Amino acid sequence: MTAAAPRSPEAAPAARRLRIRRPTARPPSDTGAPAFLLNRPITGLKVGLRHEGSWRSWMLIVEEWQGFLRRDGATPVVVQTGERTAAEGERTRALVAEWAASVDCGISGLGTCGSCTSWSVHDAVSLEKQKRPAIVAVTEEFAQHAHNMANHLGHKDLKVLVLPYPLEARPEDELREIARDYYPKFLELLGATR
Amino acid sequence: MTPPETSALTAEILELEDDPEALFALSLEQGWGDGAPILPPTDARIERLLAATPHPPDHIVGVLPPKNGVATVELAAINAAMAGVLPAAFPFVLAALEAISAPEWNAFALTTTTSSVFPMLIANGPSRDALGINYRAGCLGGAAGRGSMTIGRAVSLCLRNVGGQKAGETSRTVFGQPARFGLCFGEWEERSPWPSLAQRRGFRADQDVVTVHGGMGTFPLADVNNDSAEDLAYTIAKSIAFPLNNWYLEPTGATGQLVLCINPIWAKRFGEAFPKIESLQEYLCENAWQPIELWREANAKILRDKGRVDAKGRVALVERPEQLVPVVCGGLGSLHAVALTSFCESEMQSVAALRA
Repeated sequence: MTAAAPRSPEAAPAARRLRIRRPTARPPSDTGAPAFLLNRPITGLKVGLRHEGSWRSWMLIVEEWQGFLRRDGATPVVVQTGERTAAEGERTRALVAEWAASVDCGISGLGTCGSCTSWSVHDAVSLEKQKRPAIVAVTEEFAQHAHNMANHLGHKDLKVLVLPYPLEARPEDELREIARDYYPKFLELLGATR
Repeated sequence: MTPPETSALTAEILELEDDPEALFALSLEQGWGDGAPILPPTDARIERLLAATPHPPDHIVGVLPPKNGVATVELAAINAAMAGVLPAAFPFVLAALEAISAPEWNAFALTTTTSSVFPMLIANGPSRDALGINYRAGCLGGAAGRGSMTIGRAVSLCLRNVGGQKAGETSRTVFGQPARFGLCFGEWEERSPWPSLAQRRGFRADQDVVTVHGGMGTFPLADVNNDSAEDLAYTIAKSIAFPLNNWYLEPTGATGQLVLCINPIWAKRFGEAFPKIESLQEYLCENAWQPIELWREANAKILRDKGRVDAKGRVALVERPEQLVPVVCGGLGSLHAVALTSFCESEMQSVAALRA
């Protein structure tokens, strides 16, 4: 085999071009479903509080808020979701649908991991689809993820209540204080007036 | 640039210098890549893949979270071309995507979780050898079968590029796992004393089938001390019921599966002791529990509150034998098994690979 003769710059062929196809899906439409506000006092309303039985910090906050809501003349309606697949998944879907249809407004939490944030957003969206004021509760670390998931589900204006991170492993007194501190913000996001 | 009128393909055309380095750099810059080089998804490559499926390019295989991207056959083919999938293997990619899109697989949670879970593909059927799907030594990593490496990677690229799953962005995975590059392996059906996984799930032996498992990782098990197959199965059952297993975080042990990869030597021993696979699964299930005393009190209280502790103080890993799924594969060196542990909130799905 003989070595190829060096080419002069003038003789160099034009660089070949390659045509390929873009491998990504088209971005979804950014039209968002409407969000809702109470624009009235919380008194006399059924207020949904959703938890999944995993985050003890959030269950404690939910417990505190039930007392505050009763004090303020509202009726708390707590739902605990279960598994999302198989027969238990069927039950969970029915439970969430029933809960969303039975309350005037509500909050779904807690988003403090990836999948629990996704499902918390999903269930808040179920409420918003019923034209009810809806909030998803997440910790600071998962706030952006909650906004992203709401956007992917077509509810980019879903309201997000951001709690401190991490919530787990805090002393009970501290968690009850957080519950007290964030209750007014919860009502404000619902659009409850005094 | 708009597509030429003569092509049935609709994805945007990009033009670049015909240089592997330029393509690699573009894939990284655009965020399509997984950090390793890709092949160019040219029309010729894509059309060869499309010719291997009965579906038209605009057929929707599924919708992939987290961004709910619509996975058409064309988009799947573009990503499969990037991964280097052979046309004959493309139906496995489509079958896997269909399986992942099933609501019961729960991709909505699996693509966004903090956990390491990822679709692990188990192939059955007559095409395993011809396509280079690994089911012998090194089948979970290290064997260089083109089928295994490219099918798994194509599915991973589809999740990234169609579903929008990206670690640190849409996926909140804390660690990820090596299988996120793609994991596809076969069952060594010929060395299994039982019907294949696909047959057990209702398919014929002459069908090519992909089963998709939401696997948290590869959990290695080793033994040289148990001469009795029952004793070995017992010790495996105790080992997979480790206290920080995801199942013990769940309200129940009712959902999800664990895949137990059993080497052919152990499979023969188990086959003699448990001629029916159901009897092995029952034995594993009966023994996959831990005494509540294993957990410190605060944790034990949570398990009790969830109703996970039975009257004898046992905390069962799962509720049903069929949740523990043996698959025969791996080399003949014996000594080892691997548990592909479960995300728990995901039901394994199987889909036949359909050819044109």
